[in-house]
Amino acid sequence: MITHNVLLYLRTIKKHRSSFLINLVGLSSGLACVLLVYLWVSDELKMDKFHEHDEHLYQVRRIVPIAPGELAVVSSNSSLMLTALQQEVPEVEYATAVYSFDNNASLEIDDKKLSASGIMASEAFFEVFSYPLLSGDKNKVLNELNSVVISKDLASRLFSNTDAVGKTIKVKEAEEEIEEAFVVSGVYEIPKNSSQQFDFILPYKTFLKYRDPDDIAWYSNSSSIYVLLVPNTDIVAFNQKMEGFVAKRHRYVQEEKVLFTKFSDNYLRGSFENGKQVGGRINYVVLFSIVALFVLLIACINFMNLSTARATRRLKEVGVKKAVGANRKSLIVQFLTESVILSFLSLGCALLIVIALLPWYNEITGKELTFSVAPEMIFTLTLIAFLTGVLSGSYPALYLTKFSAVNVLKGKISSSFGELMARKGLVVFQFCISILLIVAVGVIYMQLDYLQSKNLGYNKDNVMIFDIQDGLIDKADVFIEQAKELPGVVNATYMQGDMTNFSNRSSGHSWPGQTEESKHITFRHAHVGPEFIETMGIELKEGRTYINEKPNNESKIILNERAVEVMGLENPVGTIIDMRGPNREIIGVVKDFNIQSLYNEITPMALLCRTEWRSNLVIKIKAGEEKTAIAALEKLYNTFNSGLAFDFRFLDDQYEELYRSEQRVSTLSKYFGAMAIIISCLGLFGLAAFSAERRKKEISIRKVLGQTVSQVTIMLSSEFIKLVLISIAISLPIAYLLATNWLSQFAYKISLHFGYFIGAGLLAILVALLTVGSQAINAANKNPVHALKDD
Amino acid sequence: MLLELKNIFKWVNSGGQRIFLLKDINLSVEEGEFISIMGPSGSGKSTLLNVIGMLDQFNEGEYYFFDESVHSLKEKHRSNLYKEYIGFVFQAYHLLDDLTVYENLEMPLLYKKYKSAERKAMVADMLDRFNIVGKKDLFPAQLSGGQQQLVGVARALIGKPKLILADEPTGNLNSKQGEEIMELFKQLNTEGVTIIQVTHSEKNAAYGSRIINLLDGRKV
Repeated sequence: MITHNVLLYLRTIKKHRSSFLINLVGLSSGLACVLLVYLWVSDELKMDKFHEHDEHLYQVRRIVPIAPGELAVVSSNSSLMLTALQQEVPEVEYATAVYSFDNNASLEIDDKKLSASGIMASEAFFEVFSYPLLSGDKNKVLNELNSVVISKDLASRLFSNTDAVGKTIKVKEAEEEIEEAFVVSGVYEIPKNSSQQFDFILPYKTFLKYRDPDDIAWYSNSSSIYVLLVPNTDIVAFNQKMEGFVAKRHRYVQEEKVLFTKFSDNYLRGSFENGKQVGGRINYVVLFSIVALFVLLIACINFMNLSTARATRRLKEVGVKKAVGANRKSLIVQFLTESVILSFLSLGCALLIVIALLPWYNEITGKELTFSVAPEMIFTLTLIAFLTGVLSGSYPALYLTKFSAVNVLKGKISSSFGELMARKGLVVFQFCISILLIVAVGVIYMQLDYLQSKNLGYNKDNVMIFDIQDGLIDKADVFIEQAKELPGVVNATYMQGDMTNFSNRSSGHSWPGQTEESKHITFRHAHVGPEFIETMGIELKEGRTYINEKPNNESKIILNERAVEVMGLENPVGTIIDMRGPNREIIGVVKDFNIQSLYNEITPMALLCRTEWRSNLVIKIKAGEEKTAIAALEKLYNTFNSGLAFDFRFLDDQYEELYRSEQRVSTLSKYFGAMAIIISCLGLFGLAAFSAERRKKEISIRKVLGQTVSQVTIMLSSEFIKLVLISIAISLPIAYLLATNWLSQFAYKISLHFGYFIGAGLLAILVALLTVGSQAINAANKNPVHALKDD
Repeated sequence: MLLELKNIFKWVNSGGQRIFLLKDINLSVEEGEFISIMGPSGSGKSTLLNVIGMLDQFNEGEYYFFDESVHSLKEKHRSNLYKEYIGFVFQAYHLLDDLTVYENLEMPLLYKKYKSAERKAMVADMLDRFNIVGKKDLFPAQLSGGQQQLVGVARALIGKPKLILADEPTGNLNSKQGEEIMELFKQLNTEGVTIIQVTHSEKNAAYGSRIINLLDGRKV
């Protein structure tokens, strides 16, 4: 029976190549979309899941009120939290504190010097996390003050092999002012699917050693704390119990609550809103899974529509088979076999497409996805193909086999109203999805374009940034002075942290005229060097900027407009306030500029100038002279840092980095959108061809009776254009809601123009017209005599 | 007794009116009979044939086939019954265009759970018997009408039915081809197969042993 069914299907394919090709192309593209997204999604879902105790691995966070009615969730904690958790909380099996260096440190052995990223972690680090240790004892590697654990990658960069234990490395780090020799106590490996990547680990003891004991307090925040809870801890109850864990410990933290969140959730659900976990990357994972499934669904609909529309071809077969004794079940099985065969053929094509597209896809997604033939993969693929086959074959199978033999053989079958509606409904559904995707692509593209080109309040072009490392640590000022003299350099200064994220926040400040409400306002603050405002092209509203007048700058402060506004200062310049230190004189007010991604509003902010707080050099280069400037700077850099590679980055690239995931969404949705439209049109093409064929006689009669070619063309096209119009009417309101919803997360956004939606609709109509029109013209131009003769 | 119809009524409702297709048909058929159903167009000949063949339902009455009461059988049993005992021959042959002669003959057997080897033997037997071995790999479109109907009859016979129902089997054939088919039926009848045919032609009807005339759904 199977051979019979397969044979018959192969003959059908041979006879009706165009339908077969439309279905094959559609289904294989649909399946390819699903496979690509599947690869990406399964990779995303595996992120950070390799830790052996993933189920009990939690990160300690704090919920902090930052403004009236507004809560922020922060992940930094005091080192005191570590000790308190270890000593007072029986549910905590292991706890570790981790401090990450903002900047790269320079590592030196005999003749080699290179820059690497590092963290400092307390003893239980390898107990809590399961980064495999290639050498060293996981209970001991971080115990000694002078030990360092390095990654396999760093080991091979430093020593050209992984046999590094016992060797000495000189580590120099600007921020903590570490300059010491450490002995390698172990080598670890970081799996690819780890969200954290770091080259070396110093003991947390070193971190504490370099701290002023006064700075170790409940309100000073610098470390991340991770815990392994004892198995079967009820996390909800535990969180309730721990909520007030820090409040009573110091007056500065009395309004804070402690929150334990699962570590492996950080990657996909890392966003918090008012103290609640609200998603994050998971939204994109879900979004793309849905889009891919929709593309596949559109392809399945093509199959359903073409199969049922051309039912007449197969009805005779159904009738004859029923008459010779076939029951409905065996016929359903036959049709399902056909769609499953088609689906597996498509799967084959899809695999080829996926393998061909994988390098390109990796570039877009920023991943290193590979296609491996694992049992799990084969199982999934088979399942997907099988379900696709059954889904797309189900309706045709049920539809074609429901007729009685007598009616079929007598030719008494006419398309019922319901069936026509179903077919049209499916086309409408396809086009709704396509139009939604067109709008999505357009809105995302325009919003991103807006973000890229929005005036940020500072000039991000031609600004070069690099870490203050090694030889620069003490001589940054000298470097800056010399750099300013170089050809192509406009200005130079330094800053702490990144322009795209001033992460420092503080509250509890006081100023003249402060009210009870404004007491709780949180300020962001950044430490910057002299002439920072000039270098960045930030506009000064009043007062003056920092000039090189150390140490006087330490008692000065510059605020942004927003800060002045919320503080309610009438004449800010000259006012003495208490902020990050007592008795600071406001010397200037700058116009607001954006420091974060444009998801966020501009917040009150202070610029402070302190030489000991700096991590990056910032150099403004003249446009057009980048090459000369970079070459000159590199030469200068090497005189300060011999042997260390000149590793710099540009601010505008860094800014773009903020929208990396949106950028990916934009690119991917463009391709998926195009895919959906092409597949929909393929289906429409097939239906139009069929309709022209079916109405051959009608067209001939109309022509004989005097209708012109163009009238006939319009008549044929309008049948389908009507459907597209209905789709537009249904999908545009939905698109509007979705777009508004997506944009609402941005503080700065494009206003949705009526024209975008009209444009999307027109595009859909145009594409549909092109598809259907060619068929219609073709049919209308046929000589009526031929069609009429056939009867 | 092969089959018996008692007071069979069949109607359709159209515009509030009941239009009778079959009215009070009583008929018993013995094994080995060769019956011709005649009557003008629209008199219910084909409907009657389809009711006998269990392809069509009736609204009232009783139908016994080998003493099984067809009117009270479930769809599945009914289908098993006609699968086993009844073969159809159609005016328009209704061979499947995408299958070769061989495959067309084999097709009914697929729905009757025969083993592959058995099927081969049965098809070979049939090809031999109808002298169409040389045509077994041709598609229906490559055959003349008469040859196609020959295959149609062979297909009806392949399941070794007790009863062959033929709906104007010669309607699409020229007279010579028609005669050949009728001769074939006659010969099959002498071999013990019961045949009921619908026909317009007195000449064809004469091959049969009994003629039933219908007018407006009623036996006359």
